[in-house]
Amino acid sequence: MKALLARLFKPYKRKEIELEVEEELRFHVEMLRREYIRQGMPPEEAKGATLKRFGDVEQIKYRCVQISRRSHPFMRALKSFLILVSIAGVSVRVLSADISVGRIGEMLIAVAVLSRLLLYVRGLSPSNFLSKNRNTFAADL
Amino acid sequence: MAHARTDLMQGTLELLILKTLAREAMHGYGIVQRIHETAEDLLKVEDGSLYPALYRMEERGWVTSEWGLSENNRRAKFYKLTRAGRKQLEDECANWERISQAITRILQTA
Repeated sequence: MKALLARLFKPYKRKEIELEVEEELRFHVEMLRREYIRQGMPPEEAKGATLKRFGDVEQIKYRCVQISRRSHPFMRALKSFLILVSIAGVSVRVLSADISVGRIGEMLIAVAVLSRLLLYVRGLSPSNFLSKNRNTFAADL
Repeated sequence: MAHARTDLMQGTLELLILKTLAREAMHGYGIVQRIHETAEDLLKVEDGSLYPALYRMEERGWVTSEWGLSENNRRAKFYKLTRAGRKQLEDECANWERISQAITRILQTA
C-alpha cells in the first residue's frame, strides 16, 4: 500500500521523465560506441556506426516520453477520476426530477468532458526538448 | 560469406524481448546484444526500436523496471518480466507456433 501511494504521488514532471528517458538511451548509445571502438573502429567511424544502428535518437526519446507520461500512475488515476465524475454527472442528470439538481449533473459532465479534451490536446503538443535539443546525443558522442 | 539480414515481422520484437527477459532481468543494451548474439546477426533489429516497445510493455504490465548498476558500474534501467509477462510469453509462443506451422504447410503444398 505504501509503495502504491509512493508510486501514485511520484512527481509527475515532464522534465524529470525526459531526463530519465535520456539517461537510459544515453547509456545504450555509449555502450554501443565503446563496443565498436573495442572492436578496433576509429572513434569517428564508431560514432557513425552507433547512430546508424540505434536509429533516430530524438524521435525514439520523444516516443518513450509520450508513452511514459500517459502511463504514469497519476495520469491514469486522473483519467479514472474523470470517468467517475462523468458517470456521476449522467446519473444525477438522469435520476433527478428537480431541474436545479439536474444542472449540477450537466456541470459535472461538462467538467469531465472538457478536462478529458484538455488532456488529449496536451498529449498532442510536441514536447519542447524535441526541437531545442535535437541531435544532443550525436553532438556529445 | 555474409548472410542477408531479415527485417523483423510486425509484432515479433515484443516476443523476442519477452523471451530474452524470461531468463533474467536485463537492461535495454543487454537485451539487444542477447538478441543479436542468439540470432547470429541474421535479424535486422534497430537498437532504438527496442525502447518504445519496452515502454509499451511496461504500460501493459508485462515488465517492470528499476534502476540499478550495470556490469561496468554505470546506472542503468533493468527490466524484469512480471507474471502477466510470463503468461503473455506463453500465449505469444503458442501463437507463433501456429503461424509458423500454417506458413510451412502452405510453402510445402503450394
